[in-house]
Amino acid sequence: MIGPLQLVLILIVTFIAAIDQFNFLESLYQPIVMGPVVGAILGDVKTGLAVGGAYQLMTIGSMPVGGAQPPNAVVGGIMATVFAVASGLDVNAALGAAIPFALLGQYGVTLTFTLMSGLMAKADEHAANANPKGIDNLNYFAMGLLGLFFALATLAGVISITNPAVADFINGLEGNWIMGGLGAAGGMMRYVGFAVLMRIMLADDMWGIYFAGFALAAILGACGLGGPALILVAFVGIAIALYDYNINVAIKNAGGGAGGESDGI
Amino acid sequence: MLVAELEVKVMESNVYTYKDLTPAQPLDRATLNKMVIRSLFLQASFNYERMQAAGWLYGILPGLEKIHTNKEDLAASMTHNLEFFNTHPFLVTFVMGLVLSLEQQKADIATIRAVRVAAMGPLGGIGDAIFWFTVLPIAAGITSNMAIEGNVFAPVLFLLIFNGVQFAVRYWLMYMSYDLGTSAIEVLTRNAKEFTHAASMLGVFVVGALTCNYGATTIKIEVQDGEALRSVQAILDGILPQLVPLLLTLMVYYLIKKKGWSTVKCIGLLLILGLVGAFFGIWGGAYTPFIKWY
Repeated sequence: MIGPLQLVLILIVTFIAAIDQFNFLESLYQPIVMGPVVGAILGDVKTGLAVGGAYQLMTIGSMPVGGAQPPNAVVGGIMATVFAVASGLDVNAALGAAIPFALLGQYGVTLTFTLMSGLMAKADEHAANANPKGIDNLNYFAMGLLGLFFALATLAGVISITNPAVADFINGLEGNWIMGGLGAAGGMMRYVGFAVLMRIMLADDMWGIYFAGFALAAILGACGLGGPALILVAFVGIAIALYDYNINVAIKNAGGGAGGESDGI
Repeated sequence: MLVAELEVKVMESNVYTYKDLTPAQPLDRATLNKMVIRSLFLQASFNYERMQAAGWLYGILPGLEKIHTNKEDLAASMTHNLEFFNTHPFLVTFVMGLVLSLEQQKADIATIRAVRVAAMGPLGGIGDAIFWFTVLPIAAGITSNMAIEGNVFAPVLFLLIFNGVQFAVRYWLMYMSYDLGTSAIEVLTRNAKEFTHAASMLGVFVVGALTCNYGATTIKIEVQDGEALRSVQAILDGILPQLVPLLLTLMVYYLIKKKGWSTVKCIGLLLILGLVGAFFGIWGGAYTPFIKWY
């Protein structure tokens, strides 16, 4: 069974891994690391290594077997190891049992990203007051919040070992319209970021350029290019910008010539 | 000057150039190294509105504090560096070096912004290709089977390979791009107006592409068409791909530019729009609408 000290250690590890999934080394959270660490806490490194290694192979897609994968690798990896060691489940069963709590972790991500959107106004205030400490603390707060949500998700997972009703309750949340709505709203908020940039950068003569960028990305997207699309967009964009630059410099220099400067031609 | 007055001045984004135009001392190695370490926390306050903006600012703050000794300039610099930002976390030091070299030379804010926006976009695809599709599968592929066989050095080796590449890339890009920006500055300042116009065009072009590429809003509604169900999204895609993200972006732009809405107000509106839409099952996603009317 899991003792109080072991529980605290697991929660601390989860807290760190939650932050690490987006920050710091962005590799500590990987199942291959989390498996043995959690295994060591629970006194069974070997099982931890096996679960972590197998789950890692699944996440990089080079393991042909395996059922459903947990929606969040951090909670997925940690809880799968806990279930494998504490409840003696095999890797696939342990990963399956981890799914509801990984879902809970994913909700924590959505919630943090939404809350922090609201706090950007606070960040603006710190910037306007030239207050670097305020910006520092805002970032530390956000990381702490995410870590806390994840620790709670793992806590729920540990409780579920003795109280299976917890898992049923979380499974009931899946597909809830409120989480769906938060997700949809989250997907829309970036448009505010785009709009602010446009308000500042977009002179009236540049609307054509905006739609040209949109069109090029749409065409490349239709060709099935995801990530590389933006590199290709940059190629074309740089070509346009260079042309604009050269033309305008040439015009300026020609104007300067008429003003009395002689190039000796 | 009162803080409130300063705030209004900066918030209106009427500040185009810094007050103190004397180039600052070049940044020393200790500060550059400190910022490489801080770049590890680019996504600390990641959010749906401005994504990595506050983490980006966190990363370059030590440099900005050294460069802008004038409080008003520091406020102006921090404010424009809090605008929407998103790039690949492992390659961010490339953008940092460029922007810091421009800040140090006290380039126009419009120029710095244009360079920042133009540089951040393309790095995403490159970073994914290097790290998530190459380094990670190699490191994990080598070590996973070791782990399954019970070798305790497997996770250590995994971390060494992955982070060795990561840190080499972060340091190299920071120094390389800072030098690049510094050496380009002379050309930039000679034709500053023309350069800013061209870079802004590139920036606007990239934002247009981002609207399409990052647009993540779809429609869930399906209508009965004779025997078959037709998805409204498919119909919209037939008109213009990513039409919904484009319209929503233009709507927010209109609210901010013409109606003077604050970003917080816009976020509130989108939050309500998202929840109400999900209630009626309008927006795409894996959820069950509260009311399914179609």
